[in-house]
Amino acid sequence: MDKIKLRQICFILAAVLPVGKMIVYPATIAYHAHNDLLFSALANFFAEGLVIALILLFAKNSDKTLFERLQNAVGPTLTKGIYLLFALFFAGATLLPLLELKGFVSQILYENTPSVLSFAPFFAVCLFACVKGFKSIGRVADIAMPVFAVCLTAILLLALPDADFSALLPIGGTGGRAVLRGSLCSIPWFTDSLFLLFFLGHFRYERHATGKVILAYAIGAAATLLFLALFYAIFADIAILQQNSLAQISKYTTAFTSLGRIDLLFVFALTLVSVFYLCIPVQMCVHCLHSVFGKNPLLPAVIVNAFLLTLTVLLNNSFRELQTLFTERLWFLFGLFAYLLPFLCLFLSQIGPRGESGGSPGRSRAKTVDSPASARGPSADSSENTRRRQKSNAARTPQPRKHAPAKSGAQLASREENA
Amino acid sequence: MDKNRKAPPLSAAVRDNVCAVKKVLAASDILVHEFSTKDGTPCAIIYADGITDKESLGDLVVRPLAQTNAPHARAEVKRTLLFPETRDADDLPAACEEILAGNPALFIDAVPGAVILGTKKISVRAIMEPQTAVTVKGPREGLIEDIKTNMSLIRRRLQTPDLRFDLLTVGRRSRTAVAIVYLQGIADPKIVEAVRQRIRAADIDGVPDSSYIGKFLAKKPYSLFKQVGTTEKPDILCAKMLEGRIAILSDGSPIALTLPYMLSEDFQSSQDYFVSPYRATISRLLRMLAICISLFVPAFYVAAQLFRLRLLPFGLLMTISGGIRSIPLSPSLELFFLLIVLEILIEASVRMPKYVALALSVIGALVLGDTAVKAGLVSSPAIIIVALSGISAYTVPDLTGTLSIIRIAFVVVAGSIGPFGILLLTALLVYYLVTADSYGTPLLAPFSPLIRKDLRDALYKTDIYSLDTRPAVFQGKNQTRLRVRNRKEADNG
Repeated sequence: MDKIKLRQICFILAAVLPVGKMIVYPATIAYHAHNDLLFSALANFFAEGLVIALILLFAKNSDKTLFERLQNAVGPTLTKGIYLLFALFFAGATLLPLLELKGFVSQILYENTPSVLSFAPFFAVCLFACVKGFKSIGRVADIAMPVFAVCLTAILLLALPDADFSALLPIGGTGGRAVLRGSLCSIPWFTDSLFLLFFLGHFRYERHATGKVILAYAIGAAATLLFLALFYAIFADIAILQQNSLAQISKYTTAFTSLGRIDLLFVFALTLVSVFYLCIPVQMCVHCLHSVFGKNPLLPAVIVNAFLLTLTVLLNNSFRELQTLFTERLWFLFGLFAYLLPFLCLFLSQIGPRGESGGSPGRSRAKTVDSPASARGPSADSSENTRRRQKSNAARTPQPRKHAPAKSGAQLASREENA
Repeated sequence: MDKNRKAPPLSAAVRDNVCAVKKVLAASDILVHEFSTKDGTPCAIIYADGITDKESLGDLVVRPLAQTNAPHARAEVKRTLLFPETRDADDLPAACEEILAGNPALFIDAVPGAVILGTKKISVRAIMEPQTAVTVKGPREGLIEDIKTNMSLIRRRLQTPDLRFDLLTVGRRSRTAVAIVYLQGIADPKIVEAVRQRIRAADIDGVPDSSYIGKFLAKKPYSLFKQVGTTEKPDILCAKMLEGRIAILSDGSPIALTLPYMLSEDFQSSQDYFVSPYRATISRLLRMLAICISLFVPAFYVAAQLFRLRLLPFGLLMTISGGIRSIPLSPSLELFFLLIVLEILIEASVRMPKYVALALSVIGALVLGDTAVKAGLVSSPAIIIVALSGISAYTVPDLTGTLSIIRIAFVVVAGSIGPFGILLLTALLVYYLVTADSYGTPLLAPFSPLIRKDLRDALYKTDIYSLDTRPAVFQGKNQTRLRVRNRKEADNG
């Protein structure tokens, strides 16, 4: 039921996730890495890309969900514990982009109502998305892809005439420490690879899937890097003050005198994509809780959204403090969850006491574990996947010709006798 | 009527049978014509006045029987009559049902049961162009209220043995004939069966129109969006069936239902297939743009005023601000009021007699429009925006009902939450649409899930040779529509 297509994952990586890095992230990384911001970002992209490649490697071997893999390896109790940890992480990690978008909305869309009031309906939309599951993430990515492609291209083209790329020189002038600091402080924006971990077992591994996904990720990364380069090329030293870079980058275009701020139309469309982007970690959080408790997804969705709404209200004026806390103090926690835990989970599922190396499709042991969540959701998907794969394997296996079975059988028997 | 209990058989005595039928069908339009055969055996025909062809009844039934000796069995009666459409009725309910449907029952003394004669004749209106689907080029025939005529219109276009009409009867009292029409081998049999089950499960007293059947077929009855496609044109209906859809015809309704339904099909027009692909593509893109204008422009107008969006160039901004300076209403109230007036005008113009249409146009355009602006109640830009929005919505007539509701919702959120409210409502709509489906077919296909092959006849329109397969979204077994080999042959002369 809760299926997502490989193409949709590619679209998410290429078109939905980059939007999250186009609001406050450019100013933050410019603050730390100055004109070498591209190197800092590149390092993060590389690390995240490695995690994605690893996850795909594991997806190739088996079509079980992460929940099933962990259950087989470490048992249901520990699996639920790990999932609860991830749920907590997703809820926490969503805070920064949530407040980011809230600030963006109140400053750029010129709201003169209290920002909490105008932003609160977001959680209603998010609640609806959470109930709809992974299918909605994938389908929305299909819609977001052309919107992102057209609008980002338009914004970049509008911004291009004002860019002075010499601001990015001298290359490496900031020094290695600053670049490293920029990378480490940016980790909270580079935890999206985790989404792929939870998509395991929910998508069909096709031929050249790794290549396609990596290519899509590279396209998304290239778009972000281009945006960062253009951003710094326009604002240079004052880039650190441009908090809402998505709306700022093309505001100096000379066309505004006759056309008005037409770039705002594209910014609106990209804000829509960022709403879709922001729903994903919340949906992941709900997915984790749903997998653990196995109830109707509505209940965890309501709880998570109410919790996040409360936090948004409480932290209404604390974005700066939260940003400092996340980027300068808790970055290692993000690194742990985004880079280390996926490795650990995947290896644990391979070498654990009850693990099955590779977990071949025909030998699914997930059904032996009595868990309501696995019985309802993910395992059902996986067994469907397994059946499909078995079917396709059977189809690929050369069948004996219609009129030859007796002869072949006799030949086989005589060969066995000879042996 | 309890269907499980076996009804008592009709007797062999004409007098008893006539009395029994008249006891059940006591209405004055149920007539009895009594006559005798050559040897004096009494016979009777019971029929419903007005829906029976009395001329053929006299020529093909009464005359031959009056000139021969009485037959002794129903098989012999059929041979004597040489009538093309006859059936047997063994019991009273069956005979009554046929009489009410317009098919007379013939009783002959000493012959048990009745012979049903297919002389149903209902006066129907002429086949004409439907008002809801007018085309400049292309066929102008439209479906009418008679299901048999509609079936013949389809049969004329699809002369294949694969064309199937599954006839069902719906309505405890109306006994309305409903036909599930599909092309075997192309339509998905699971959907056909699902539709059949749903129609059979509909236990209602009467079905005045096919929209009643549509309500039974909809899986989400409270959905804001259509869940069943509709058409009044047989050419469109046949084209849809050739793509793999199923049609449902209902007696008494000129509107055929089609399943599965996709939102993109409302953006298609039959004319698109009779003009050049470029023209058709431009038309489709225009329709999509018009829908966006219809939905978003009033909302953005409100948001731009209330929340001081710097979207507009300075010159235009000055013009608009000059127009709205002395308006007492807030922008959202002003737009809301005008949209309601627009809906009232549309509602009135649909229902009022044609001879007062001109008067209403004058009242609508001059009194409500011009005078309201002069009186300073509404601004000229607001009227322009509402008019643009209203006209744009009619580029896709099948969606106007839904659009008008969503448009008002957009104005309300724009007035209360502002531009972000517009974005959130759009996001909610997108989430809803991408997860909705009609009998397993995604409502927003081929855009989401993206089916590149199907975009050829959805987002744009390619030439006929490129439309060589049926839409992949239906996942039918028979995919080939056109063999490209023919093109090469034609090119080679």
